[in-house]
Amino acid sequence: MAIIPAATDLTRPYWDSAGHGKLVIQRCNNCASHWHPPLPGCPHCHSTDLGWQPVSGTGTVYTYTVVRHATHAALAGQIPYVIAIVELTEGPRIVTGITGCDPRDVRAGMEVRVRFEAVTDDVTLPYFEPA
Amino acid sequence: MIRREVAIVGIGQTGYAKALPGTAWELAVEAILAALADAGIDPKDVDGLCRFAAPFETVSEPQLVRALGIGELTFFAQSPLGGEALGAVIGHAAAAVTAGLASTVVVYRALSQSTGGRFGRADSRGPGGTGAGTGTGVGADPSAHVVVAEEDNRSFAWPYGLVSPGQLFALWARRYATVNRLTDEDLTQALGAIAITQRRYANGNPNAMMRDRKMDADDYRNARMISEPLRLFDLCLENDGACAYVVTSAETARALRDDPVYLLSATQTISPYREPMGIYVTGELLELFPPAAAARLFADAGVSRKDVDVAEFYDATSYMPLRSLESYGFVPDGQAWRYVTETGTGPDSPLPVNTHGGHLSEAYLHGMNGVLEAVRQLRGTASNQVADPAIALVGAPAGSAMILAR
Repeated sequence: MAIIPAATDLTRPYWDSAGHGKLVIQRCNNCASHWHPPLPGCPHCHSTDLGWQPVSGTGTVYTYTVVRHATHAALAGQIPYVIAIVELTEGPRIVTGITGCDPRDVRAGMEVRVRFEAVTDDVTLPYFEPA
Repeated sequence: MIRREVAIVGIGQTGYAKALPGTAWELAVEAILAALADAGIDPKDVDGLCRFAAPFETVSEPQLVRALGIGELTFFAQSPLGGEALGAVIGHAAAAVTAGLASTVVVYRALSQSTGGRFGRADSRGPGGTGAGTGTGVGADPSAHVVVAEEDNRSFAWPYGLVSPGQLFALWARRYATVNRLTDEDLTQALGAIAITQRRYANGNPNAMMRDRKMDADDYRNARMISEPLRLFDLCLENDGACAYVVTSAETARALRDDPVYLLSATQTISPYREPMGIYVTGELLELFPPAAAARLFADAGVSRKDVDVAEFYDATSYMPLRSLESYGFVPDGQAWRYVTETGTGPDSPLPVNTHGGHLSEAYLHGMNGVLEAVRQLRGTASNQVADPAIALVGAPAGSAMILAR
């Protein structure tokens, strides 16, 4: 049992890209600003000419928590797990998980890089691991 | 300007317990009737209701109009964002009364977690059960995947197991430790000081669920980690109960009683990517109650920080009172962790905080029990009475706040 996102028209390109092993964030084609998560229009110039920009997949751990008590039945088998907010090298921050290391070794400021993990046959999520 | 234009003229509550008989509706009626009796107001004369929006508050206006025999509601309003709205609901009541849209407004919060789901659970044991976004519904195939609908960025958080408020607040607390270069021990001491101080207040408060449960530093430290760095006693209680208060014009309040509690100011705040309980912020995650909003709160009230005699901070976790001391301007940024261990927030400190025990040790009611405590302090009838207080602040971490005065 996994917890998976229901894609909307606005969010589908993000999840579809992850399925293809690419991390992307939304970008304004008019003023070139970018942000995450997706919005219906640019919050700076209000253009609706938006696109998706591939990012490097590198960043640092902005903050994190090691969860040691499951609050959802679907997560019981994953304890302990690490929730993190990662600040991408390109600036925006994303909520993710840290895998590929002992949860006790996660630190704020740690350099990380994206790793894609298939959580179901159809859904792949971007996680991060120590760089 | 609403300064001293309206007052809280009555307060009421049910008992607080892990499970109480009766639905949230019945609890709401009990608390509201108690508040109206305290005010000396006939229920049929109520013409306004203000509440937290669903899904937090489940008791509706028509349910209360029928159950209380209210003649006619001429004003009713709901505030989103849960406990972040504690200063919003009174602001709406005050706006209605000063604008002449209603004369007698009841603000209420009723909660039956024993029947309606626990806030500490994000699955079918949580609020709403089978409701949208809660994941697996009752009777769902346990092997089926949980598909999370997109709503307020939830679909970007839940897949990673960020499903409960306590986990979000753990992220905030870790960020606080990082920015201020605290060791784990520093943070444990600071959060522990708050949890233990509030427990001591609860031990002196007959209303508190934890009135008979002592807690020392060892009890605090030895409790299990829930979401690091937050341990069991850093998290609020889960319970049933209801609170209500009655807002009228200051003139009406003075005619009804000798000790009305006046509203000096009420402030709401939301800014881009700065949603209360927001995960995605572009600025510093630590900035909870924005400095501009705090400045407005005090300017509208016409008082300064040093005038505040007691503060009741919304505390879903022990981290919130810690950071609230800073964001409301009582302690400089980055110093509250030291302040709470060295100066403290106990009865003899310069600013007693959460004198009822707070959500950690009295009961959890989305900040409403903190409002009732502030009223009791200003009336001089609190269990842990502060010496002769004139001004009280009741504040949420990020969304709204109020200043009250006798």
